[in-house]
Amino acid sequence: MSDHGTHSHGPVTRPGESADEALEHAAHAEHGGHGDHGDHGGHGGHGGLGKYLLVFLALCGLTTMSFFTYSPAWPWRDQPQVGWAFMMAVSCTKAMLVILFFMHVWWEANWKYVLTIPAAMMALFLGIMLVPDVGMRNRMVSQERALHMARGSDLRLLEEASANAADAQPH
Amino acid sequence: MTASAASLSHGHDHGHGDDHAHGHITLQYQPGLPLTRGKLIMWLFLSTEIMFFAALLGSYVVLRFGAPIWPKPHHVHLSEPIGAFNTFVLICSSVTVVLALEAARANKTSLAKLWMVLTFVLGAVFLGVKGYEYAAKFDHGIYPAAPRGRIYERPDLYYGSAVRARLDELRREPVSSWSAARYRMAVWQHGSPQAAALAGWKEPETVDRLKQLDETPEAELSAEQQAGRRHLQQVQKLLASPDQQAIDMAIVADQVMPLPGEGPGAHHGAHGLNDIFPWLKLPAVIPGGNMWASTYFLLTGFHAVHVIVGLIVFAILLTYRLGAKQAGMIENAGLYWHFVDLVWIFLFPLLYLF
Repeated sequence: MSDHGTHSHGPVTRPGESADEALEHAAHAEHGGHGDHGDHGGHGGHGGLGKYLLVFLALCGLTTMSFFTYSPAWPWRDQPQVGWAFMMAVSCTKAMLVILFFMHVWWEANWKYVLTIPAAMMALFLGIMLVPDVGMRNRMVSQERALHMARGSDLRLLEEASANAADAQPH
Repeated sequence: MTASAASLSHGHDHGHGDDHAHGHITLQYQPGLPLTRGKLIMWLFLSTEIMFFAALLGSYVVLRFGAPIWPKPHHVHLSEPIGAFNTFVLICSSVTVVLALEAARANKTSLAKLWMVLTFVLGAVFLGVKGYEYAAKFDHGIYPAAPRGRIYERPDLYYGSAVRARLDELRREPVSSWSAARYRMAVWQHGSPQAAALAGWKEPETVDRLKQLDETPEAELSAEQQAGRRHLQQVQKLLASPDQQAIDMAIVADQVMPLPGEGPGAHHGAHGLNDIFPWLKLPAVIPGGNMWASTYFLLTGFHAVHVIVGLIVFAILLTYRLGAKQAGMIENAGLYWHFVDLVWIFLFPLLYLF
């Protein structure tokens, strides 16, 4: 039902899409669309096995890329920040691929912005709001808490003990 | 709204040229958003889910970078290849659910069902691997909280006294854990051990596990167990010493559960006393380990709950004939499943590789 409603006032254009492209898109949707699941103003028949396979391969490749930071061949082992930035970039790319193609957002009408942008902004804001109270909680701590808190020296102590034990092993 | 207005003015314009049509306004139903109610609700739900997981992931990132020390993945016995495998499994399941939707749209019901079964199986594999990983954590005493959690933050005197307390417990370990549990229950019910004794409950028979180990002839022990026995004696000596130094407790911690080395070549399950004698269950030290465990179990736990819900939805869908009529339902379930995949895409590097 909504299919007809949408088509009556012309195809829904995507940002950056010319009128011709929109018309072509609508014609394609009418040609390939199915009446009984008519919730897609301008999408239907978009997927295609080849496209999904391509996205799948890209996702596998990207996962391998982020896993590469774990291998000894990764050149920035002494600078973990490089690896973190790289992995986040890879994760965001993967997330975009899943959202755009597997969740069909690429082919959706403009309502996608209404639902996703405010949620994404709230999510970002939520993260930032956590920084002062939670992220900086260790700037000022009670003496008692400081006494029981692990710190770098504990790790060094354990590593030293481990090295001593390894030295003592052959005897 | 726009369409209704357009139809109205259209009808009016028409009316000027044609008297018969005057007053016949054709109204068309136009939903607020050009999508079905089911899909709209699913997207609304997903937008709340975005915020839910953003709060969890945000807390994790903020806690992790705000902590004075955070354990490396290998310190907490995380296996990166297993995590990568699980990522691969979820990506595969995302593809299969999309293919199920395409098959259903084309009314290829048996093909759609096949893809759906595959999706279900892949989701179950993911959960199975997660369960295996959880079991590995539990084996090392890594739980979200006490009393099961046996992780201490620092090799200090508190840690030393916890190890001592556990060794004392082992000197009168109940022979059968079942009778010990029943006795504990009786004490709890009667209010005190004395009251339980009056009601006829006897304290369970105990055995000195440490003495038992000491008395075992060398021939019955493997080379590793013999070395372990020597190390355990050294630990007991260190703990009994009146002039303990910080390094002594670090040696105890290293003997109980050494922090495994870094990198793919490192031996992950570095053998400590807890590995050689699993019944020991001595407290261990992982600096920053408790906060790590809390966040790890919370994040992966909530994600696993979402996976379980997805599996239930797929199981319900499998009872239907997956044709074009059901495509909307599959699409909504698929949207949810892709979101679950999306969360894991961020969880995997954050938990396993950071």
